Amino acid sequence: MILTEESIQKIKEKAARYPHRKSAILPALTVAYRQVGHLNDEIYREIGRVINIPPVEIAEAATFYTMFPKKPVGKYLLQVCHNLSCALVGADSMITYLEDKLGIKKGETTDDGLFTLISVECLGSCATAPMIQINHDFHENLTREKLDKLLEELRAKA
Amino acid sequence: MAQETNEKAAATPVTMVTLTIDGQSVTVPKGKTVLEAARSVGIDIPTFCHHPKLKSVGSCRICYVEIEKMPKLQVSCATEAMDGMVVSTNSDQVKQGRRAVIEFILLNHPLDCPTCDKGGECDLQNLTFAHGTDDSRNDFQKTRFREDDMSTTFDDKSIGPEIVLNRNRCILCYKCVRSNKDAFGEYDLGVYERGNIAQIDSAPGEQVDNPFSGNLVEICPVGALTNRDWRYKIRVWLTETTPSVDNFQSSGSNITFSKERQKNKIYRVTSRPNDDIDDGWLPDITRYGYQIVNSPDRLKKPLIKKGGTQVEVSWDEALDTIAKRLANIKDSKGSVCIGGLAAPSLDNRSLYGFSKFFRKVLHSNNVDYRSDCRMLPSSSDTICSRLAMQPFSISDLDDSDVIVVFGSDLIREHHNEYLRMRKAFNFNGARLFSITPYAVKAADIAELEVVHRPGKEEFVLQAVCQAAVEDRLVDDQTAGRFREQVGNVDLTELCRSAGISTDSVKQIARALASGKKISFVVGEIVTRSREREPIAAAICNLNKLFGLHDKGQVAILARYANSKGAQKLGVVPVPHKMLVDKMNVLWSETPSCEAHNTDAMLALLKKEEIDSLFVLGANPMMVYPDLQFAREGLERADFLVACDLFETETTQLADVVLPLCSWAEYDGDYVNLEGRNQTARAAIKPIGESRTGFDIMAALAARFEASDLFEVDAIESEISQMLAIADTPALPQEYTQVRASEDKEKDGFDIPLYLCDDPHHSGHLTEKSPSLAEFSGEAYAEISFDLANRLKLRNGESVRVESPVGKIIIPVKISEILNTDVVLLPRNFSSTPTTALMMRKRRVDMVKLSKVDD
Ligand code: SF4
Ligand code: FES
Ligand code: FES
Repeated sequence: MILTEESIQKIKEKAARYPHRKSAILPALTVAYRQVGHLNDEIYREIGRVINIPPVEIAEAATFYTMFPKKPVGKYLLQVCHNLSCALVGADSMITYLEDKLGIKKGETTDDGLFTLISVECLGSCATAPMIQINHDFHENLTREKLDKLLEELRAKA
Repeated sequence: MAQETNEKAAATPVTMVTLTIDGQSVTVPKGKTVLEAARSVGIDIPTFCHHPKLKSVGSCRICYVEIEKMPKLQVSCATEAMDGMVVSTNSDQVKQGRRAVIEFILLNHPLDCPTCDKGGECDLQNLTFAHGTDDSRNDFQKTRFREDDMSTTFDDKSIGPEIVLNRNRCILCYKCVRSNKDAFGEYDLGVYERGNIAQIDSAPGEQVDNPFSGNLVEICPVGALTNRDWRYKIRVWLTETTPSVDNFQSSGSNITFSKERQKNKIYRVTSRPNDDIDDGWLPDITRYGYQIVNSPDRLKKPLIKKGGTQVEVSWDEALDTIAKRLANIKDSKGSVCIGGLAAPSLDNRSLYGFSKFFRKVLHSNNVDYRSDCRMLPSSSDTICSRLAMQPFSISDLDDSDVIVVFGSDLIREHHNEYLRMRKAFNFNGARLFSITPYAVKAADIAELEVVHRPGKEEFVLQAVCQAAVEDRLVDDQTAGRFREQVGNVDLTELCRSAGISTDSVKQIARALASGKKISFVVGEIVTRSREREPIAAAICNLNKLFGLHDKGQVAILARYANSKGAQKLGVVPVPHKMLVDKMNVLWSETPSCEAHNTDAMLALLKKEEIDSLFVLGANPMMVYPDLQFAREGLERADFLVACDLFETETTQLADVVLPLCSWAEYDGDYVNLEGRNQTARAAIKPIGESRTGFDIMAALAARFEASDLFEVDAIESEISQMLAIADTPALPQEYTQVRASEDKEKDGFDIPLYLCDDPHHSGHLTEKSPSLAEFSGEAYAEISFDLANRLKLRNGESVRVESPVGKIIIPVKISEILNTDVVLLPRNFSSTPTTALMMRKRRVDMVKLSKVDD
């Protein structure tokens, strides 16, 4: 079992709020993600058992959302938006900059386990493009300097 | 040959709407889509994601039409036809729209038609030729699925024992996922990710191996899903097709054989949709079962046992020997000393010829088609047999609002009816009730699943009746009559003995009382039970109390491709009187000597009172539910003849073995479980020297100088006269007392055993299909999670199953469905003779299970 008793309880509580069990899929995935830090097949099966839904339906929902990482990630998940608005004002160069700076490729994690870099679809912050989401927080109007500062702060916190 | 049509009374009056399509006025019932309206008058609109038996999702957009007053193109498959609509399916705007859709679909498509197995029958290929452009404006690298080698378009991803997926070719119409979930209720396939990398795949950690999975390949509009059965073997334009009928199921799904023109070999089976029977879906048994036809193991020549071994001989020698021996026995001991068993999957002519040969040539009444039942009643005019002759219609399940499945594990016995029931639930919200001695898959959509104590069927039925009377669900007069004739029984007591709750029987009683159209279907757990008669009597009581017959159908679902034909042609020792009357007319007389059924024949063989058994296509050594008993009988036979496609446990014992044709090798008629007579055409020539059952019977008759009785035209006319007997024998007019007897307990044997087929098998020949064998793997014992835990058994570990008469060691499969202490064993595996555990006199076989420590 991956899910803790506490997570299972939370999932059950959430499921009880909806007339259809299927509506509880995303809230359940969020609970699991917050506990584990990522999602995988075993978690889909466990959630399926808790809310009595075939695991395939859970996996379908989970994989649709890029916001859920599907394998273990670093302490900080750097999610650079690569969608249209961000791309027009330099998302690509932000990604390359981070790759060079961290010495990893998109999709990889630094050796110290601190940072994982990925690029994601539009996060709805187009007006302040380019942008990055780090774990659950947005950082907008990115520049290289801003990124340098952000990384430094995170390293210090870690 | 004639297909009977079911005349169904029109239900509620329908409102009609009239619209104009391409200048033509079209009137259709309200609720139909523009696409359906167009197709109803022969105007075709291209589609990818539309399937007539699934709900529309409108995802591919190829079915665009222009509708006046609507600013944009509309998808015709998801737009309801409205009064006064003016639709154009071919305007410039529509053509342009289609072109754009094709261009979009082809953006990432590998265009690998020359190496794709769908080539020649691919919707995308055809529509691209018809509506697409001949070049692409795409300058980008296409998205490729193939993590290890991005340079190739191949993506042969195995997602099941049969199915290979090429994600590059997939156009994401979702038909596969939708049919799997919505029509079959299976959750082993899904669509993952989004955008460019959205893709189909099996469920996490699972294989696509459900009993309907072959359909996914057939409905995929492109070559994304292919099966190993067909891929890379032949091009579709090199094949020719033959219309036929399935031989593994009793519903007689309509199928098409594809064979190569030059070779005597079948390459595949696809559906030939018939909405009255199969809705175009084929279970895997039907789709892959054909592989037995070209199996290298087929018997090709007659064999005669000489000095202990069977050696190949000519047909003449084999037939002469049989004729001589049978004549000898007949003359010296009397015809009553010869018996015959025929398989209920043979065609009408073979079965009729078999019965006629026995009755008219040998003057013996010892014929039976039921080799898989024990303790059959000697008379054929019993309540159960009358119940079995009641009419049943598959499509009537569609609009039944209450469906009760009694004593049937549908997904193992009746795949088509299983799908119909799901359809009734999904499309019409039918209320389903399942009553069985162990939990079944079909109950996942049931309003209520009643799992009663094994061997207590009649108690449940009596309890439902009693509940209706007590709760005044039927009128006082009816209730009074019931009380008068059956007496008052204590509801609580009945439920307690059956191990069920009173609430559940009350719920069923209320549904039966309030249902408008009810289908009450009865399965093999009843027909194979020793106590089939009392159970049938209890069903008739229920029928009478609730007036079920007037509100729909109460029927025993026949198993096997032609049981119904065997029944109607009288291939039983004592046929129903109306059949005997007809035989007397057709044949001028029928023998009056004693008649013995399967059980009696086996018993008399053992006592050496029957000397010879002629087995036509049946395999009692595999299916008779008491192997010991069957073996003792057959081994004592002075002269045993067995005709089959393959060497079987039965042919091994035979003095003469004759090779039989499969149903794909001759034109034959089969009566499905509804009584519908259908023709299966010969797709190929007989394999080796094999012959049809009828040819064998006729050749033997010739040796008895009775050829005149076997002239084909006369036989055909006799068969149609027999089949034309339309009367259904009446069910009892009054309520009957239900008295069943109980088994004596056997100490230490505490787990009930049920013999049931793997959903990928149908009992006998299917083991010889490599694909089907691949699906089911080895024989296994299914038990509940709980029982496995107590026995400390994990999936795949060996368990010893012991009964008072036998013992087998077999791997366990932990079932996600079973929830009581019971063990299910399959009977299709010659390596594991599960019937060796069974005792013919028992109602429910009991075994004990223990872990094998190695
Ligand atoms: S695999 Fe075939 S049926 Fe399934 S979504 Fe793709 S194209 Fe459609
Ligand atoms: S495109 Fe980057 S936030 Fe919308
Ligand atoms: S067929 Fe209508 S949208 Fe696909």
